[in-house]
Amino acid sequence: MKRKIKAVGRALGPVQALSLLAAAWTALGAGITRAEDRVTIRGAYYREPSTRVIQPVVEISKDLPDGFDVDARYLVDTITSASAAAGTAVDTIFTEVRNEAGLRVGKNWERTRATLAYKYSAESDYWSHTFVGSLAQRFWGDTATVAASGGLSLDAVGFRGRTPPCLAGGSASCPLDVVFGGLAYTQVLSPVAIAQINLDSAYLSGFLGNPYRTAPGTGYEVLPDSRLRSAVSLRAAYYFPQSETGVQFQYRYYWDFEPGSSPNPWAISAHTLEGRVYRRLTRDLEVRLLYRQYFQNHAGLWCDVASNPGCSAMDDLNLPYLTTDPKLGPLRTEYPEVKLIWDAEALRPYRFFRWFAAGTFEISYGRYYQNDSFGNAHVLQTGYSMPY
Amino acid sequence: MPSLRFRLCLLLLGVAAAGGGAGCAHAPPPPVQPWQREHLAKRALRFDADPMEDHFRQHWLGAREGADLGFGQPGGGCGCN
Repeated sequence: MKRKIKAVGRALGPVQALSLLAAAWTALGAGITRAEDRVTIRGAYYREPSTRVIQPVVEISKDLPDGFDVDARYLVDTITSASAAAGTAVDTIFTEVRNEAGLRVGKNWERTRATLAYKYSAESDYWSHTFVGSLAQRFWGDTATVAASGGLSLDAVGFRGRTPPCLAGGSASCPLDVVFGGLAYTQVLSPVAIAQINLDSAYLSGFLGNPYRTAPGTGYEVLPDSRLRSAVSLRAAYYFPQSETGVQFQYRYYWDFEPGSSPNPWAISAHTLEGRVYRRLTRDLEVRLLYRQYFQNHAGLWCDVASNPGCSAMDDLNLPYLTTDPKLGPLRTEYPEVKLIWDAEALRPYRFFRWFAAGTFEISYGRYYQNDSFGNAHVLQTGYSMPY
Repeated sequence: MPSLRFRLCLLLLGVAAAGGGAGCAHAPPPPVQPWQREHLAKRALRFDADPMEDHFRQHWLGAREGADLGFGQPGGGCGCN
């Protein structure tokens, strides 16, 4: 049952958060921009009818000599859930904690940036090691950037109360390996316009299901052991200097399949549209409005158990796969959000608070609408970032 | 003495290099000069302005939607299959 929502987030109490702060020191160079000496603390809260996630994070970035920089991150996800809607048959409350630590080292040359990153994630029945490398090159007067990234994720899926075939041989967990790569091209079009195109792909092999989700007739859900996921995305941004207003648009198209299999048991295709508006309200205060819409068709192996309790999605095709996972069904989501970003310079005259004046506070609230059995969610995020 | 094929390859490489150089010589100027970059650092014109926010969003959306990827590396370790 635990697996239910794992994905969403994880949690931790205030004491844990403080211990995180103490424990976290890091470095992660990122993207194409150079890091600076900065510490960031963030908290996220996600709440839907049967699931609550609390996630505190701390991240530290530091510039080093000879063009190097380093960035470290530590986060804790605490998820509390109680819902059969998440795909399990038993409606009991549980709390799951996930710890994640990441380290990234970057190196800058005149027009080139390379990064190497490692991330470790652990919870009671899921462990993951992720290795990522990236290389970015600027050219044409530093107005164009080509970036390539690639990596490998080695995951181990644990089980309680069942012994799936992949555990044959006495191993304690089933493997899930992910190889991924991406290409991005970014072009500055004018002093106030920029555009980007991304192409990403990931090949997953191993145990791809939820260890605890049941399906009618088969006991537990049965999924293929490989999946090739791909996405192409376009982004563009424009800034209006006179009104100090900026807009961003994003579009993503996603598709997946099982290599070498016909018919394709996955067969999800999805479209994502997102728009953002940035507006400076005062010298120190900026607001960001965001609206995102997502829609997908259902996977070939998905079964509509709500309207057809005895359904067998792929029986006619003589394939053994079956799942009732809501996120693999026909889905449409919407997400409006408002965010305030405040540069805290106004705190400088005040005795104790002046210490925070060099930093930036931000807070956002969004409402996540889903047309499946998970129900709608509140999403609250807040953070403070300060150079040091 | 280099073979005829080797010399021909060198010639082709030379022609290609010269052509490339000529092409560079005629490359259009970049659309933005260094003194015109004032606004490019603003959040609205940066796609990587909120990496930690993106990290959280990718995680939660990966658990609730069938699609992943598109703006960077896939999230690993969520156990949200």
